[in-house]
Amino acid sequence: MTELIIDAASHPFPVASDDLRRYMSEPFAHLRFPTYDAYFYPPPHTEYMATAIDAGGLPGSDPTLFDKEIFGNAGTAGAILLPLTRGLLPDLDMANEICSATNRWLADQWLARDPDRLFGSIRINPADPVRAIREIDEWATHPQMVQIAVPLQAHQPYGQRIYRPIWERAAFHGLPVAVHADALAGNEFWPTAAGYPFTYAEFAAQNPINYTVHLLSLIAEGVLEEQPDLTFVFADGGLDMLFPILWRSNADWRPLRSVTPWVKRNPLTYLKNQVRFCSNSLEGPTEREAIPKWIASVDAEHLLMYASNYPFSSFQAPSAFNQIAPATRARILGGAALECYPKLRRKHVSP
Amino acid sequence: MAPRRVCRIDDLPPGGRKIVDGGRRGLGLFNVGGTVVALSNYCPHAGAPVCRGGVTGTTESERRYEAKWVRQGEILRCPWHGWEFELKTGRSITRPFRSVQTYQVTVEEGWIVVDD
Repeated sequence: MTELIIDAASHPFPVASDDLRRYMSEPFAHLRFPTYDAYFYPPPHTEYMATAIDAGGLPGSDPTLFDKEIFGNAGTAGAILLPLTRGLLPDLDMANEICSATNRWLADQWLARDPDRLFGSIRINPADPVRAIREIDEWATHPQMVQIAVPLQAHQPYGQRIYRPIWERAAFHGLPVAVHADALAGNEFWPTAAGYPFTYAEFAAQNPINYTVHLLSLIAEGVLEEQPDLTFVFADGGLDMLFPILWRSNADWRPLRSVTPWVKRNPLTYLKNQVRFCSNSLEGPTEREAIPKWIASVDAEHLLMYASNYPFSSFQAPSAFNQIAPATRARILGGAALECYPKLRRKHVSP
Repeated sequence: MAPRRVCRIDDLPPGGRKIVDGGRRGLGLFNVGGTVVALSNYCPHAGAPVCRGGVTGTTESERRYEAKWVRQGEILRCPWHGWEFELKTGRSITRPFRSVQTYQVTVEEGWIVVDD
């Protein structure tokens, strides 16, 4: 039997960085803004898979190559597109406009061409909650926009009260919130708690640990308790790093309960009910035979959703999960995403 | 053991505490607003002399960021790991399925009588 495969995170790009301007209004469209690859940790070689690059455009910009890889080779039945923006720009209005333009571009250039198999993410700028709510309301009823997307980088952890209206709005519309590393082209804080590492290698290995910071904040400040139907999706790996910290937090939260009496359940319960992680080819044990044991010990059956991460070189095919027990594999490859995304569940037809 | 007199009620005014011999590991006597209770001086979590911990209150909440201070004088906080116990029942708030052992207490002729 063919398994239903949902790709919970792939990343389309415009043909050229400046193409986004066509979807921007003035006075922003004529101004300069960072390109996608203006990282302060540029990967030393390439960070994209060769098969996602055509002669003319940015990696991941060619719909034909995308369809061939995702719907053809990988056998995916539905793909959730999570376009990147340009990092935390000090100019909040420009950051807002980039989000709006990205949403218009995504709906026009990608979602419209395949309403049955392509799904989208509403990019918002969480540093401006009032504007972010307007953006959510504008797109929430689009049948293919299945989630909200925010950068992993932030100036305050996502549990903090400044973000409260945004998460309330997401819950109101029944939209999960995806957190994914963004373009690192703005005024981001240092990516580790001890400062800026020297190399891309250090950065790439450590950056996902910031998911844990957001997650503990969402638990401790009561966001997950207050919004029991809200799901957070950490969309680029990190499940491997999470558990040692969650185990510790779980052991500690009861004795420290009186400080946060609004947190009624233990961290692992919130995790299982309201948090999902996308898979990433870089995580997990080095020995392939240890993978099933790892899958069991991090409760991947509940928490993990398959994501290709196309067009990045950390691309992962569904075959990466071939040695997992069939029921668990079916859930990771597709079942968990159908459970997580109400719109996808309603719309999706089995292969 | 049969019920026995352990201390004069006049020596344990409301809010007071006395640690006395008794039970398997010593007893803590507490006067909680006029009600005298006796608890084993042994924390079910890790064996601390729990009755030497602070007598305090605790927090309750119905919504985010709201922490109401309640039950002042009714909560015993273990000196080792901060577990909270209800003085009147011995029940743990930290882990409600654990309890400090309690003993029956009566007051006769000005004496606190404990059946330990």
